[in-house]
Amino acid sequence: VQPPEKPLESEEWNRLRESFRLPEIFEEVMLNSMIRCNSPIDVAKSLLTHMAQRNGDVAYSVLVKYLTLCVQQGQISEIRDVYDIMKVRFKILEIGAYNLFIKGLSNSDQWRMGLTLLEEAKKIMIPSRTSYESCIKAASCHQDMKLAFELYHEMLAKDVVPTLDVLKSFFDFSRGMKGAELQKELFGILLYLRDNQIYPHKTFMQSIKLWFESIPGRNWRGHLTNIKDSGQCPVCNHQLEDSNLTEEEYNNLSERIIRDVIHGTDTFRKTSPQEFEAFQTFVENRLPFDIVIDGLNVSHIKPKKMHCENLLDAINCLVKDNVRLLVLGRKHMLINSSNWKREIMKEMKTKADFFFAENISEDDTFLLYATLRSGKHCKFVTRDFLRDHKACLSDSLTRHLFRKWQRGHQIVLKAMFFSVFSQQPAFQYDCVVQTTGDTWHIPYKDVFEEKYSYQVPRKWLCIQQK
Amino acid sequence: MQSANMLLKKIVRSSVLPVAAQHGMKRDLFPLSRTLSLSLCLKQDDSCKPSEKLDLDAWKKVMKSGMKEEVSETIPEPQELSGLAAARETLEMWRLAGKSVPENVSEEQLKTFMECPSKSAKKKYLKYLYLKELYKKNDKRKMEEKRERRLEAQEQASKTDDTKKSPFLCLWTSTMDKAYNWRAAQSMIFGQPLVFDMSYEKEMSVREVANTVKQLVQSEGCNRRAVDPFHIHFCNFKDDSLYHREFLKHYKEAWGKLLITVTEQCYTEVFPKDKLIYLTADSPKVMKTFDHDKIYIVGSMVDRSIKTGVSLARAKRLGLETAALPLDKYLLWNTGAKNLTLDQMMHILLTLKDTADWKKALEFVPKRKYCGFVTKPVNELKKTLDLVNTLKLGMRREEVQKQFAKNYPKK
Repeated sequence: VQPPEKPLESEEWNRLRESFRLPEIFEEVMLNSMIRCNSPIDVAKSLLTHMAQRNGDVAYSVLVKYLTLCVQQGQISEIRDVYDIMKVRFKILEIGAYNLFIKGLSNSDQWRMGLTLLEEAKKIMIPSRTSYESCIKAASCHQDMKLAFELYHEMLAKDVVPTLDVLKSFFDFSRGMKGAELQKELFGILLYLRDNQIYPHKTFMQSIKLWFESIPGRNWRGHLTNIKDSGQCPVCNHQLEDSNLTEEEYNNLSERIIRDVIHGTDTFRKTSPQEFEAFQTFVENRLPFDIVIDGLNVSHIKPKKMHCENLLDAINCLVKDNVRLLVLGRKHMLINSSNWKREIMKEMKTKADFFFAENISEDDTFLLYATLRSGKHCKFVTRDFLRDHKACLSDSLTRHLFRKWQRGHQIVLKAMFFSVFSQQPAFQYDCVVQTTGDTWHIPYKDVFEEKYSYQVPRKWLCIQQK
Repeated sequence: MQSANMLLKKIVRSSVLPVAAQHGMKRDLFPLSRTLSLSLCLKQDDSCKPSEKLDLDAWKKVMKSGMKEEVSETIPEPQELSGLAAARETLEMWRLAGKSVPENVSEEQLKTFMECPSKSAKKKYLKYLYLKELYKKNDKRKMEEKRERRLEAQEQASKTDDTKKSPFLCLWTSTMDKAYNWRAAQSMIFGQPLVFDMSYEKEMSVREVANTVKQLVQSEGCNRRAVDPFHIHFCNFKDDSLYHREFLKHYKEAWGKLLITVTEQCYTEVFPKDKLIYLTADSPKVMKTFDHDKIYIVGSMVDRSIKTGVSLARAKRLGLETAALPLDKYLLWNTGAKNLTLDQMMHILLTLKDTADWKKALEFVPKRKYCGFVTKPVNELKKTLDLVNTLKLGMRREEVQKQFAKNYPKK
């Protein structure tokens, strides 16, 4: 339905209503389309008046819809009126209405009232992240940074994930402001980005840069740059953090992988205790390896070639002097077949160690175990993103560790047309927000750049103190 | 139209009503003539004028006036609501806001609602209750309609009132039940065992257990009605487990009289290990034929959150043989997981047992999950057999290849 352009009288509404297919829901449909078309609120008011005259009452859902329209158009006095009406009419309000009120009032000079509403909303349920967002923005817009940060910390404490917009607004509004406390808080935000492996987008990055450069008396300078593959920043020649985990992180990760991924709820789901034990003794006897290869994954790189030939090519490509390879496979590879020729298998066995798992076992888990057990220098080869294994890890911190470790240790082979393989090497440096005190390096992504979760941005913001 | 206008003008001009014309009648009449004679747009102009008359805030007055009396009652003590009452209020507000919330919520449901860990979990639970209520209402309505119709029919029947004499006895359901129970009792002595593994309680949520029991009740029902029923065993069944409580909800007193074997023991203790076959969709082995000497095990588990390999792990641990239904061989699979509900499994196994016909048995796979049957797998097999024969008989290679190409056209 097309909402009318001018306020109508009751009879006219009645006429419209009767011509509508389902008169019972006419008002709701009409209000929805008013919200969609952003009709003038006078039209909505006339509809409400008509309803009030008809039924002597206006339903809650209708009021909420009217409120949505008012919020959309920033009609502050109307929002206040609706609030007064609702407050007396109903004992409590529902969280959706609160969110609307907060959003509507935060953009006005009555933003303090938005804050009191936020308090009220907390009694019922955790307010949405957009409610927090509008309150924080309102507070920082009115120079009350302390309050804004209080709200921000409260939000984090309640496990509400802040939007990048909120974080950006902190940098925007504190531009040129003094205060050690404030600086500490903003550095805290940057460390939050680091801990959660969040990459700011370009406009956010600009805000960060401008804020740094605006700190009085500190003389920060920011440059956009690309980091070399070696991990050196071309602007300040600073070496970025390498991708290795700390000793403690490393031990933690390998422990968790054995516990959550390999054993999980039931060791029999992915392997069997006997098999796992056999594999453990096998690995312990031959440690350490330099590269662990997922045999089955690699053998499917070129679909037109025989599986064992693919694997042989890969091994030849990776084998150099004194590099110890471990290839993981399944028992069916040992049976002479059209894809797995016995002679070629024999040839490969001279170049690398092999372990064959049961056909119904998961070889990826063995891959993870063998690599982690061999030590920090060991890399692994597979095209698999290992997402399902990451998902088995129970907390996000360990998942981040896994992602970091994976970035630093996974080699991806790609089949090319002419050359045999192209190697996509593991990252030498860690792609995360980092600081040395007098420098900051912040990776960022372009606004419209499509980035997959496994990809890391290549562009960096280098900030140094002169 | 013009003539009317002219007529009006004439009336005014002619001194029929000279006095009236002087006293404003003229002013009033001319606009009238204009609207009569001319343009629609003028009319529209008029219709938007009334907004001055329209009191746009009238609804606020109505809202405020309507509650004046209530206000005086409620305001004195704006007491803090606690716990259940507050939750009930929240629900009521959600309902008013037009979300899917049930009308009646019991105390117990309210508690479950409050224990939901997140907002989305709460919404999901409410929607579930809402739909349940809706279905219940619809069912009730339909029942009543049916009853009315039956009463009407009875009335008509009593009017005609001719007692038909049928040469056959009227078989009431109780008689049928007796016959079925007789068969089930026979199966308990002579029938082929079928095991339901009841050890998955820990892997499931409360709702999943409820679904499982519902499916088991259905499978038990269809087994009882079968020509040659299985002897059903519920193994690993713990008394006073969630399963047990759900069963009691469904069967009530009949639970003690069911013609099935319920045991706390594992199937490996009841039956020889080499006869057991664990049916699981994750099994690498595909079932070829139904073996009347084997004992099939079905895991009593409903798996809403994809937990692969749980039942396969169980079979591996006990070192049992496993098998999966040959779904891919006979069906062109479309969508959906390969795990079937327990009652579908029961139907399939019963049909296999009676007919050994895969096509007939796999009719019980839900239609949405597959596009159709693979065309005549037996014929295809026969063709390859023919091929082998011709090779053995020493036909020339080209001929064989030609025939092969004919039988297996390239896609």
